Amino acid sequence: MQSKMKESDPILEVENLSASTDNLPILKGVSLTVYPGEIHAIMGRNGCGKSTLSKIIAGHPSYKITNGDIKFLGENINSLEPEERAQSGIFLGFQYPIEIPGVSNLEFLRVSTNARRKFLNKEELDTFDFEELVKEKLEIVKMDHAFLSRSVNQGFSGGEKKRNEILQMALLEPKIAILDETDSGLDIDALRIVASGIKKISNKQTGIILITHYQRLLDEIEPNYVHVMSDGQIIKTGESDLALELEKKGYEWTDNFIKET
Amino acid sequence: MEIIEKIKTNKSINNQTEIQKICLNKLQSNPLPNPKSEQWRLSNKSKFSNFLDYSVNEKAPIFDTPFPNSSQSNIRLIIGDNCQINLKEKNYSIKQLSEDKLIKYIKEQISCFDQNENWSDLLNLSLNCTKNTLGLKISGSEIPPIEIFSHASSDSLNAKTLVIFLEKNCDIDLLQVNLGKENSSLSQSTFFCLEENTSVNHGVVSYGENKSNLLNSLNVIQQKNSVYNLGSLHFKFNYARFEIRIKQSEGNAKTNIKGMQITKKDEQISTYTKIDFAGPNGFLDQINKSLADEKSHAIFEGSIIVPKIAQKTDASQLSRNLLLSNLAQIDTKPQLEIIADDVKCKHGATISQLNEEELFYMRTRGITLTEASKLQLSSYFQEIIAFIPVSKDRWDLLDKLLNEN
Repeated sequence: MQSKMKESDPILEVENLSASTDNLPILKGVSLTVYPGEIHAIMGRNGCGKSTLSKIIAGHPSYKITNGDIKFLGENINSLEPEERAQSGIFLGFQYPIEIPGVSNLEFLRVSTNARRKFLNKEELDTFDFEELVKEKLEIVKMDHAFLSRSVNQGFSGGEKKRNEILQMALLEPKIAILDETDSGLDIDALRIVASGIKKISNKQTGIILITHYQRLLDEIEPNYVHVMSDGQIIKTGESDLALELEKKGYEWTDNFIKET
Repeated sequence: MEIIEKIKTNKSINNQTEIQKICLNKLQSNPLPNPKSEQWRLSNKSKFSNFLDYSVNEKAPIFDTPFPNSSQSNIRLIIGDNCQINLKEKNYSIKQLSEDKLIKYIKEQISCFDQNENWSDLLNLSLNCTKNTLGLKISGSEIPPIEIFSHASSDSLNAKTLVIFLEKNCDIDLLQVNLGKENSSLSQSTFFCLEENTSVNHGVVSYGENKSNLLNSLNVIQQKNSVYNLGSLHFKFNYARFEIRIKQSEGNAKTNIKGMQITKKDEQISTYTKIDFAGPNGFLDQINKSLADEKSHAIFEGSIIVPKIAQKTDASQLSRNLLLSNLAQIDTKPQLEIIADDVKCKHGATISQLNEEELFYMRTRGITLTEASKLQLSSYFQEIIAFIPVSKDRWDLLDKLLNEN
C-alpha cells in the first residue's frame, strides 16, 4: 500500500506495538509506518485504542509498552521522556486540550517554542522576537492576539482550544503531528480554519496522523491512507475511499471484517 | 515557669517596662500555651521549645536587606534600628505615636487578651523593650508605599512590635517583611487599627534561613466602611506560626485575605486565623494555600465567628493545599461558628497533588518535567503573589520561590 513516497526514510514506524495501563491491555500489536509528506487517518469506534496509540507515541507515563517498538527517524524512542519526543519533533494535538490556570498562554508558547528551537540548535527567542513570530502564526488559525494574554486554554471555547493546538503545532514545526479528534466540537467555519491551518503547516517533509470519527475533516484534508482500528488493532488499511465506505456502511461493517478474518 | 525564668535572666528586672511587667505577670499564671487547645494542639513541641532556646537580644542587629530599595518614593522603616519618622506632607502625615499613647493602647489590648489565644503576643510584649516597638499614626491620601522590616539576628531571640493607627479616609499600601537569620527566633506582634473609610493593602512576607523560627501575630480592628486586604507568604522557617485575628468591630467592613505557606525539609509552618464579625453587613473573602514538600508539615486553622448581631454577613473561607511528597503532612480545618440567621457563609478545603494531565500536556510541548512543575507551581503562587502590595513590581520573589522549591 505505501508505495508512493518510499524514496526517503520513514518518519515514524510503529512496529507490532502492544501496551497496557494498570495491567489492562489496550493496544494489541499495532503497526503503522508514516513517510514524509504522508497524511494518515485513523478511524474506529470509541474505546478502540486510537487516542491511546497517540498518547503512547507521545510518551504518556501512564501506559506501559509490553511489546513492540516505536521508531522516530530511525531511532527507537520507547524509553524517551515525553519532552524529549516533543523536542525532537513529535507533536500531539489533544482531543481535550488541558486548561492550565495561572500560566499565560504567551509564556507557555514561548517556553515550548524555545525548547524545540534549542533542540534544533536555533537561537532561543526573547519575548519581543517571540511576539513577532507568534503574530505571524496567529494568522494561520485566525486567532486574536488577546488569546495570548489569557491562561492556557482557560475559558476558551471548544473551537478556540483546537485552534490553540494548531497554533502550537505551527510554532513547534514538528516532523510528525498526531491530531487526536481535532475536528470534534468544531462548527463548519472553525473546522475549515483548523483544516486550512493544518494544510498550511504540513509539507513534504512532515507527516500527519489524523484521528477522527468523521468524513468531514477528511473532506478538507485528503489522507493518503486510512486505517480502521478495533479492539487495540488496525484491522483494515486502505486509501481515502475507505473512509467514505466506512461512513456509508458504519462500524458494523468492520465487525463483519473481524469475523471474516 | 522555665520561660519566665528565661525572660528574667535575659534582662535586668529593674529595667522592665510597665508593659513587660504586666505581661510577665500574666505569663506567670500560664507560662506556656495549652498544648491541648485548638490553637496549639498541632504545634510541634520540640520545634516550639527550640524557639525559646536562644537568648534574648535587645540590640538592633546589623540589618542586611536582601531587597534593594530601588524606589525613591517608598518609605522604608526598620523596627528597632533607632527608627524615627515624622513626615508631614501636603496630602498626608506619618507620625510616631508618643510613648504614653503607645502604652495606653497596648494596655487596652492586653486587657482583651485571651491567655491562650494571645500567648504569642504576651510573649512578645514581655520580651520587648520600647526601642523595639514602632508605633505609627498615619493620615491623609496619596501616601507612598511603606515597607517595614523586622529581623532576627543569628543565635538570638528578637522581639519586635508594630502598632499602626490609620485615621479616617486614609488609604495605604504597606508591606511588612520578617526575616530570620540562621539559628534565630523572631517574635513579631502587629496591631492595626483601621478607622472609618480607611483602605489598606497589607502584605506580610516572612522568610528565614536555616533553623530560624517565627511567631508572627497580627491583630486587626476594622471600623465601619474600612477595607483590609492582606496578602501573606511564609516560607523557609524551621518553625513558624502566623496568627491572624481580625475584628470588624461595627460590621459594614470588608476583609480580603490571600495567604500562603510553603514548607519543605522537616519544617513546620502554620496559619491560624480568627475573623470576628461584631456587626452586620460584614464581608470576608479568604483563601489560604499550603504547599508541603519532603517531610514537612503545613497547618491551617481558620475560624469565622458570626454572632447574632452580625446579620447579612457574607463570608467565604477556602483552604487549598498541594502535597508534593508522600512524607509531607497537611492539616487544614476551616471552621464556621454562626449564630446569626440571615447570613451567607461558606468554607471548604482541598488537598491535591500536582496535576498529572497538566504536566503531561506541558511535556508534550517540549517542556521538561522540572520546568512543567515550576510552571504549575507558579500558577499556584501567582494568585497570592499578585495580592502582595509593593513587592510585585521590583522583587523577583516568585523566581526566588520557584528556584528554591
